[in-house]
This record gives sequence, C-alpha cells and structure tokens, in this order.
Amino acid sequence: MDFVTLGGNLLGTIPLGDIVLYLTPFNLFLFAVLLGFTLLIALSKPETQIEATMHTLNNTEVKVGPKEFKQRRFLSIICGLASAGAMITGDLFNFTLFMALVGILNIGIVSAVKQTSVLNSAFNYGLIAMMCSLPLFGGASIILAATGTLSLAVLSQMPASPMVVFGAVLMLIGILGESGVAPFFASKAEMFRTAGSPFIVIIHLSSLFIIVRAVEILLLVLW
Amino acid sequence: MVFIPPYVPDAFLSMYLPAIYAGLIVGFIGTMAIALKREEIHILILTDIVGLAMIFVVSAVGTDLAEALILPGLVVELAETLAISEILLTREMRKIEQNPRRNLQKTSSMFPQPFALNMEILNTAPNFIALVLIGYGIFLTGFTGGAVAGGGIVFYALSKKARGLPVLMLDGIAGVSGIAWCLWILGFLLFFVAPQYWLLSLFLAACGLLLKVASKVGLIGLLMREDFDKE
Repeated sequence: MDFVTLGGNLLGTIPLGDIVLYLTPFNLFLFAVLLGFTLLIALSKPETQIEATMHTLNNTEVKVGPKEFKQRRFLSIICGLASAGAMITGDLFNFTLFMALVGILNIGIVSAVKQTSVLNSAFNYGLIAMMCSLPLFGGASIILAATGTLSLAVLSQMPASPMVVFGAVLMLIGILGESGVAPFFASKAEMFRTAGSPFIVIIHLSSLFIIVRAVEILLLVLW
Repeated sequence: MVFIPPYVPDAFLSMYLPAIYAGLIVGFIGTMAIALKREEIHILILTDIVGLAMIFVVSAVGTDLAEALILPGLVVELAETLAISEILLTREMRKIEQNPRRNLQKTSSMFPQPFALNMEILNTAPNFIALVLIGYGIFLTGFTGGAVAGGGIVFYALSKKARGLPVLMLDGIAGVSGIAWCLWILGFLLFFVAPQYWLLSLFLAACGLLLKVASKVGLIGLLMREDFDKE
C-alpha cells in the first residue's frame, strides 16, 4: 500500500543517502505527540504512593529516592526519544533497532525498584524481549534478502512475494513480544505495579505507539 | 528484481535457505530448552542461544547492508543480556536484604582433600611449564599467543593454589589491558597514517592483542582462584 493512502498527503522527503525519511501528517502527529509527552516527563516529578500498613492503622509512603528518580527520568526521556524516532523513521531496520532499544529501556526504567515482584516480572519480560529479537531482526533481514532494500518508500512500491509475507509475519511476532502486548503481556503488566507514575507510563505509551506504527509499516510492506 | 552481482557463485546463493533454516531450528531448540529448564541463570544463558540464532538469520543475507545489521544486532543482544543479568542481581540482592541468612549454606570445595605431597617436582615443574607457555605465547604473538600465555598464567595460579600456597596477586591487570588497547589502536592508526611502517604497526597490534588476551585469560584464572577461596 502506498504511504500516501495510509498517512495522508506527502509533505516532503528527507533523503539521507540510502535512508529516505518521508513526512506525512500521520507520522508527524505521532512524532509530535511523543515528543510532547517526553517533555512533560522531563519536567514532572514522580508520584508518591500511599499504602495501608498491615495490622496497624498507619499509612506508609512509597517514595522514589533522588538517585533512582534521576536514573528513571533519564531512561524515560531516552525511551520517549527512541519511540519518537520509531515514529518518524523511513527505514525498516531503524524501526527494529528503535523497537529493541525501547525494550531494553523498559527494563531499565524499573530495574532500580525495591519490590522483588516487579523485578521478577521485569526479568521475565526481558527474557521474552530477548527471545523475540530473533523474529524481529530475522524478519527484517528476510525482507531485506527478498527485496534487496530496507527503505519503506521503495518497499511500499513492491509487490509482496511469499518470502516477504513470511518476513513480515516474523516481524509481527517480534514486535508483539518486544513491546509486550497480546500473547506476551502477562509479565509486562506486572511491571507497572510500583511508584513513580509518569516514568512508568512511558513504558505503556511507547508500546502503544509502536504498535500503531508497526501496523502502518506492515501494511506498507504487504500491500 | 533483486540485484545479485554475476560474480557471486551459485554455491553461496544456495546457502541462504539452509542458513535460515539452521537459524530458525537453533532458535526453536533454544526456546524448547528454555521451556524445559527451570533455573533462572540457565534460562538466561539459553536465551543467548536464541540471540545467536538471530545472528545466523541476519548474517545469512550476506551483503554489506546485512553486515551493517549484524553489528547493532549483536550490540542489542549484549545490552539486553547485561540488563537482564543486572535485574537478576538486583533481585537477588533485595531478597538477601530481606532475609540475610537465606544463602548461608556450606559450599563444597573443588579440592576437598589438602595436598600433603612434598616433592621437588611440585615446586619447580609448574613454574617451568608456566614460563615455557608464556615464552611460547610471546613468541607466537597475536590472539593464539595471548591464549597460550594466558593459559600459562592460569596454570601457574592453579598449581600454586592446589598446594595451598599464597598466589602472587596480579594487581593492575586492568591497566595492562588498557595499555594493550592503546598499543592496538596505535598500531591501526600508524597502519593508515604511515603505511611504510607496516611491520612496526603489525607488531604493535600483535603485542597489544597478546597482552589483551593474556590478561583476559589470566584474569579468568585469578577469578577462579577467588572462587575457590570462598570457603
């Protein structure tokens, strides 16, 4: 499918040698929203959770320490920028790389929490993400082998051969696993159960946006 | 549609599909092993096998573009392994913080019986063999030489440890490693800047690699020794 039918009018292209970035209202909107959200995260302070204490009538505050706060903010900003990059990129492999980067950063954001249950689910999510790098990168390379290019602008003009379909299906599996949606959500959902709201939310938001972009890319490659 | 240069032999072209099948099969075996194994450290190592299968599939393409994909793929794989192992470490630390006496159980030594033999050959032979290995490693230079020399260092440390003697501590082994890097990079730089001194730069790079590998292998030996000391 042509990217004009998917994303609206073509506003222009930025040719960087082999990689051609194309600007459509769809991509620009996703890009701008993610950048705005990243800015919000850079400026905001983390939430403090109040938990009821067992067997007494007290409440306990679950706070985020200053060191942990700085680390999380840094990783969340990088995560936001990586997902923004995945929104605007015009190259199949750059997309997979941004995807893998988001996966690593998601683990990193929760890596310093004190709850062992959260760390446990982060570990399990990391294992899934690592295993899914095989279909993710493998799918991209199979598409490269079948068509000889990674540029989405060129790929959208080509008819899909069975090998391309196979590669696209592998890539879909990889994206589902790396972003932790649909069949692989079990461990990722548990990662959110800790204090520090805006930083935790970027984990959720990045995977949502990346799924939207992945649907566009798969449509471009397949139709 | 796909441009394949005419000088690429048919043998290479026909390798593509088997390579992809091999990668997918290795990945499948890896995931099966993960499903069977229940210890977390083993799972972590087994996921690395799946990552290697990814390298198979990517490198099967075999063009320069694919080569540009392998490097970030490897880096991503490495970064993920590091991140997950850090998570595992943090989690274990938290668990120990909550219950400090949990991991206190007696570990068995690799050498349960003390070596009481007192023979002349036990004093002289290990030193001699280690010296020969290190000398031969220096003579070889490069990667192989580094491995041989490092093997000599490991042998020395092990043989002294086996008799319960204190081992000479190699402090600053990281410094040696850093100097080796500098030698290596200097050699490469000289190779491009002044190609007429190619022999000098080759030897710089080779000696750097020797030091690097030897210090790495020696480090493994010293770490192992510290592992034995845990008792």
